Order: sequence, then structure tokens, then C-alpha cells
Amino acid sequence: MEYDLIIIGSGPAGYVAGIRAGQVGLKTVIIEKETVGGICLNWGCIPSKAILESAKKYASVAELSSFGVDGIDQAQISFNWQKARQRSNSIIRRLTKGVEFLLKKNGVETVKGTASITGVNAVTVDGLLYETRNILIATGSLPITIPYDISDKNIITIKELFQLNQLPEYPVIIGENAHAIELAQFFAMVGKSTTLIVPNKRILPDLDKYVANDLMKILKKSGIKIIINPKVVNGSDDHLVTGDEKYRFDVVINAMNRSAVLPDRDINLELDDGFINVNSRLQSNFTNIYAIGDVNGQCGFAHSASAQGLHAVNVISGIDEEYNFKRFPINIYTKPEIAQIGLTEAEARQADIDINISEFTLTANGKALIEGATEGYIRLISEKQYGEVLGVQIMSSDATDLIAEAGVLLQLESTVFDLSKTIHAHPTVSEIFMESGFAAFDQPIHK
Amino acid sequence: MRFVFRFPDIGEGITEGKIIEWYVKKGQQIGSGDPVVKMETDKVVTDIPSPRDGVVSAVYGSEGDVINVDDSLIEIEIEGVEGVEAQEIAQEKPVPASEKPVAEKGFGVVGTIEVAGDGAFLPAGTEGLDSVPETASLEKPVKILATPVARAMAKDLGIDIDQVKGSGPAGRVMKSDIKSFHTARPSVGHISEPVDDHQVNIIPLTQIRKTIARKMAVSKQTAAHMTIMEEVEVSELIKLRREQKDGFEDLGLKLTYLPFILKAVAVGLKSYPMLNSELDLERDRILQKKYYHIGIAVDTEDGLVVPVIRNVDRKSIADLATELGEISAKARERKLTMDDFKDGTFTITNYGSIGGTFGVPVINYPQAAILGVGRIMEKPVVNSGNIEIGNLMPLSMSVDHRIVDGGEATRFLLEVAGYIANPVSLLLKN
Repeated sequence: MEYDLIIIGSGPAGYVAGIRAGQVGLKTVIIEKETVGGICLNWGCIPSKAILESAKKYASVAELSSFGVDGIDQAQISFNWQKARQRSNSIIRRLTKGVEFLLKKNGVETVKGTASITGVNAVTVDGLLYETRNILIATGSLPITIPYDISDKNIITIKELFQLNQLPEYPVIIGENAHAIELAQFFAMVGKSTTLIVPNKRILPDLDKYVANDLMKILKKSGIKIIINPKVVNGSDDHLVTGDEKYRFDVVINAMNRSAVLPDRDINLELDDGFINVNSRLQSNFTNIYAIGDVNGQCGFAHSASAQGLHAVNVISGIDEEYNFKRFPINIYTKPEIAQIGLTEAEARQADIDINISEFTLTANGKALIEGATEGYIRLISEKQYGEVLGVQIMSSDATDLIAEAGVLLQLESTVFDLSKTIHAHPTVSEIFMESGFAAFDQPIHK
Repeated sequence: MRFVFRFPDIGEGITEGKIIEWYVKKGQQIGSGDPVVKMETDKVVTDIPSPRDGVVSAVYGSEGDVINVDDSLIEIEIEGVEGVEAQEIAQEKPVPASEKPVAEKGFGVVGTIEVAGDGAFLPAGTEGLDSVPETASLEKPVKILATPVARAMAKDLGIDIDQVKGSGPAGRVMKSDIKSFHTARPSVGHISEPVDDHQVNIIPLTQIRKTIARKMAVSKQTAAHMTIMEEVEVSELIKLRREQKDGFEDLGLKLTYLPFILKAVAVGLKSYPMLNSELDLERDRILQKKYYHIGIAVDTEDGLVVPVIRNVDRKSIADLATELGEISAKARERKLTMDDFKDGTFTITNYGSIGGTFGVPVINYPQAAILGVGRIMEKPVVNSGNIEIGNLMPLSMSVDHRIVDGGEATRFLLEVAGYIANPVSLLLKN
């Protein structure tokens, strides 16, 4: 029996592609070796943000008294990891059930097992051969090995963190991107003595430098020890040593950048730095074999993986489009949150674009004052000829949601004039968009 | 309350205009009807009057800016108007100039309906009317889907965005589409490479020039031009004019040959209605006009304009002379309004006044024909076997061969020539 499409992996790339393929009538099977939903639903985006939310709630208790909430004895407040983990698990269960239901509803078959590509039109799962017109590889990624001399037995990944019954007291997190930063802040918020080792010249290399610098200050202020780009790190069983400094630890968490998880295969897939090489239609060197999500190394975010899934199914259905690898929001769920889309200041300058940078700070925003969350700002980068919005960075408690407006601005090639003419409700944090629009060519109102 | 006065739709498909001069500034008291701004559109330079009394509280745009219809011009603070009345005023749509009831002369035009003769008409689409002429719906503009930057870029590069195929979702025109359209556009003999301004004078296009360029190209690309020429002996006409000239001068009127030619054409058009028609290929039909509005091509400092003399068939030579005088004065002072350009059914170009003889005129599309009038020259003519000195007026007429056949064109031109040669017959006939 021949399928139109076999999808290997059911993470945010694979399952979204699966649902879409079902919707457009492709006979589709999705193969998953572990749990439907992949890293994102089971060990990544969802649970990590769920425990972060618990930590944020915990940390905010101290602020409640200034809002008029009396009777809280700070000495009695403690963080219950078991409960936080339980809550996270129940969210995961609900979401994975939802995904399974949607796949079924759209007529997509799900097969448990490990797939191997045995031909351009053939996939074998535990000895059983499936023939197909198209193959979509969505096998995801794993963190790369820590580049320091630390014994493996002391190192865990976030997946294993959820198996711990007790949180470490002296966690060391190694990594440079959102995942590492968020984990470090999680531990700091629940009162753990936290160290972040950044194996790079700066945190968040893809984030606008200006915003990354501000975040560094916030992280340091919250008590996280940050070691930037250490040359050598040696580890004993309870101490890490770099230069003259010693850092106590009970667990080291690998939150490094990620490398592709490649399926077994008898075909010669072209790779680029370990990731599957794809063109702008997300095709590999075989035009009927697509690679989407982390496995193609273009972007490590779940939302981008899902968008690629939709795009690949469109291409298979004959809608010939080019995928824009550049335009996706970068979301960081710290406190305050950080979000970015489009060009950074440095990228715009490098491209030799004549730009305006307009800023508006949250201290002049009514809603931010009401919520007691005035740390942050918006930075809007627009070009001077037409006023087209090219990039936006936001630091605010709701930045990861607010950035959606910027996404629409970019998608519609909108200008600062359109933005400033759009009435934003009052009081909302979103008013900072309108103000930054005005600031780009005139004067903001509340500055 | 504050009333925002926007650049009104002044008709004739005008979508943008250039601010030439502001007559008001912020804080100034302004009365209803007072000029606000002098605008250059692609047809005219005209003053835009204020619709309200009040104090100007904001002025948008600087001299030289090109703005679109419906863009804000000024804000007027109207004192003592509040509540419901204020809301009513705020919701008031700017009245297109062409639809404003004009006391002096009014005629049925596109988008308006003549209901009771001159001076009384209603805007199209008004509720309670039995029918609206189909021409009213013919010109409904369709706004194509495009991003704001794509629109701005198209305007900058002089690209008609309607011609660009969009690659975005739902066919939205994106800036990349404008860029590729721009690079793919064949450069027909014009210089698209960087120019050396020591060798070349760079002259930005005026709105008038842009319109001329667009209209001429459309005409040549659409109509199947055919031109016929004729010489007509006009000694009788010269004599008649000479006799009447002084009498007209006493009335303050300058009598030229043009009123006679206008009249001759109008009478001729009644015999050959195809020359007073318009081809509507979209609906497979011909619109034969029962009115005789004849445009006169006028050469001005800024370029060609074609004001229209309306209902030529119903006017006397004296009426026509009066109107021609008014129109040429208005053209010189750039005071022609949109109404002066509307609804021409036939055009006369009088290059003879500059000294020209024959020509191959370009039809003022979508009209069906244009008549070129050359300079009267003394030439030998043969009369009953004798060679005499005659006065010959050269005529050149282009027709759209898609709807006017050669025989019909020739018969029409000969009839018109006959009236010009024998003006008394013309005056007796009409």
C-alpha cells in the first residue's frame, strides 16, 4: 500500500505537518519512536515554561504586600517542586492527548517505532516496509556535548531534570541560548545558588546586543553567577574550576546548542554541518524528501518548525512557495520576557540600511505601572525611505505575546505611519507600539 | 469640535495631487469657501475651498508633497458645535467637487444625473432614484491588495500597481514584486542608467506631463488610428468673419474661425453619429453619445490641456466665441476646473494658430475621432478653368478605425468641410 506522505517524528514540526496533510487529503502516516509531541510538548517548551511560571508565581509572592495583600508570612513560603512538576505533567498530558486526537480526526495514522529510510520511496519501521511518494524528516535534535572536562555522571539534560525528585541546590547550567537562560533564572527564582556558564562571547548571540546586555544585568542582579566564554573548565565531583575561581555544584545541566537527530538511512542525504541541507522549499537533495524543524538546522524554535511543516505540505500539495527562514519571533520566557523579530540594529547596519531606532520605555506606560512591571521597553527599527518596520525587540512581562503585532507588521510590510495610526487600547502595554511608531518620524505622546 | 478636512475626490479618476501653496496656517480664522490650498492634480491646478467656518488647528503636508485623495489637509476647530450636531458634521463625507451643485452651468456628467435640465442634478446612488446610468458604475475604482511599502515604492518608481502581479498571500503585491516589476520593465528608449547631469537636464515629471504621457500611450496602443486629410477653400468664411469681426469686438468678443469649425463639426456629428461614439469592448457595445461636447486642445506653458465646450450644437457662434474666450483665459491662468474637462465626445486641435499645416493627431481616447486644423494659406486654385488665388484651410482627421470606417470618415470630413466652405449653409442648417 502506498502513502502520499510518511512523516518521521511527531514534534511541533511533524505533528503540525501531519494534521495539515490530513486536512488537504494526503494519505499520511506519522512515525514516532517515543511520545507524540516530541521534545517541545514533553520535555521542552511546555514543561520548561510551566515550571518557570510556577517559579515566577513563587517569586511574585514577595511583591504582593505592596499590592495590598496582607497576611503572607514570607518565612512560611516555600517552593514545592513535586507540585510544580505535577502541574506541568498534567498540562503535557492534556496537550499530547489533544495532538493525538487531532491527528486521528484528520485521518493520519500513527505508528510507534523507529523509522529507517530504506529507499527514496521506502521507510521501514521495525521490519515493516512502508512505500510512499514523499518523506518528511522531522526527527529533531539533541544538545551537543559539553566542551569541558566534566564527568558525564554529573551531567543531566532537562529531560532528566524532570525525573529528579528534589531540585539541586547548586545547579550549574551550561549554554548560551534561551533554554539555558530560562533554566538559570528558574533556579535563581526558587532560591537556588545558580551558576550559568556561557560557552560563547555573549548570551543569546541572535538577540540584539543592546537587549542582550540589559538582560545580562537583570540576570546578574538576580544573583546568578555568569561565566562568559571560559577557556578551560575542569570538574571534580562537587566543584567546577575555571581560572582561579571555584564553583560549587550538585548537578550540571547540559543546555547547549543542539545537533540534529538523523534517522537511519540507506540513501545519501546531503548534510551541512551535521544538519540536513534543504532548499527554500525545504527539500533535501531528493526532491520528494523534505526536512523540517531542528533537523535542518535553520532555526531551533518550535513555532518555526511548525511553520516549516505547513510549508512543506503546501509544496507537496503543489503550492510552490519559498520559505522565509529569517522571519520568526525569538521568544525568551525570562522575567521580564524578551521577544524579537526581524532585523537587529547590527544586522540593519551591516546591510547598510539607513535606519531609525525608536524606543519607548515601560516606565511611561499606564498598564505596566498598574501591573508593577515597568522593567523593559520596545525598540523598533525602521528604514528611513518608506518608514517600513524592519525589526522589533521588546522587553516586558508579556513580550512573548506582544511580539505577534510586530510579526504582522513585518508580514504586511507595514510602515511606522500605519503603526502610529492604529489605535491601541488604553490602558494596555501594547500602547508602546503606537508610541514607538510615532517616535520613528515625529514625537511620541507620552515622552 | 474638531473637523478634519480631507483632500476631496474631485472626480475624473484623480487619486493624488501636489501641494503647490498653502493659503492658511495654524491658528488662522477661516471661513467656509475660503481657499485652503492650491493643489496641482494631473489635470488642473485648483484651489481647494474650506467647507467650514472655524480656526485652523492643524495643517498637514508641506508645499511640494504629493498626497492622496482622502488624506488629511487641515483640521478646523469649529466653535460651539457639540453633541449630535458635531457627530453629524464629523461623519459628513467631503462632497466631490464635480457633484457640488453649481449655480451657473450644470450638465449631466459621469457619476451625476441630470434630472431637470441645467443646474439641477443629484449625485449618483442617491436613494429613491429609479435608475442610475450605467456609466456611473463603470468607473468604480477597485483597490488592489498590496502592502503599504509596495504602494509607496510603486508610486516612487512611477509604476501602476494594478499592472503588478502579487506574490504574497491572496495575491498581495509585496515590495519584492514591485522591485522585480521595476527591473523587468523594458526601458523604451529612455535612459534608465545613472545619468550625467552635465550632459542631460533632469526634469521631474509634472502631474500634467504624467497624464499626457499615460493618455497618449493608452490611445496609441488601443485605438486603430487612421488619418485622412482635406483642403477646404475658405474665402467665404474669411469674408463673413471680416464682416462680423468688428461687431463682435464692440461686444468685447474676439471672433476667430474656431466657433465656425466647432459648429460645423457638431452639425456633421449629428449626420455621422459613429464619430461621436465610444467603443465599450468589455460589454461588446458602442455608446453613441446624444450630446456634442467638443474638446479644444490648448497649448499651455505646462503642457497640453483639453477643456471641453459643452452642447456645441445648441449654442450660437456668439456663445461659442464667448466661451472660447473664457476658456483660453482660464487655461492661461491655470484656473480650469475638473468640470471644464469632463465628458468630451470629440476633439479639435488647432495647430494652425501656431502656423502648422497638416498633422496626424492622436485621438483623445476613448473618443472616436480628432480633427486637426491647420493654417489658412493662399494657394492657386482652379475655378471654371481659371487659376485664381484661393484661401485653403488644411484639415487632418484621425479616427478610430475600429468603429469608424474609411467611407464614413471621409463623408463626415467632406460634410464638415462643406459647412466651413459655405458658412451660410451652416448657419441656416443650425
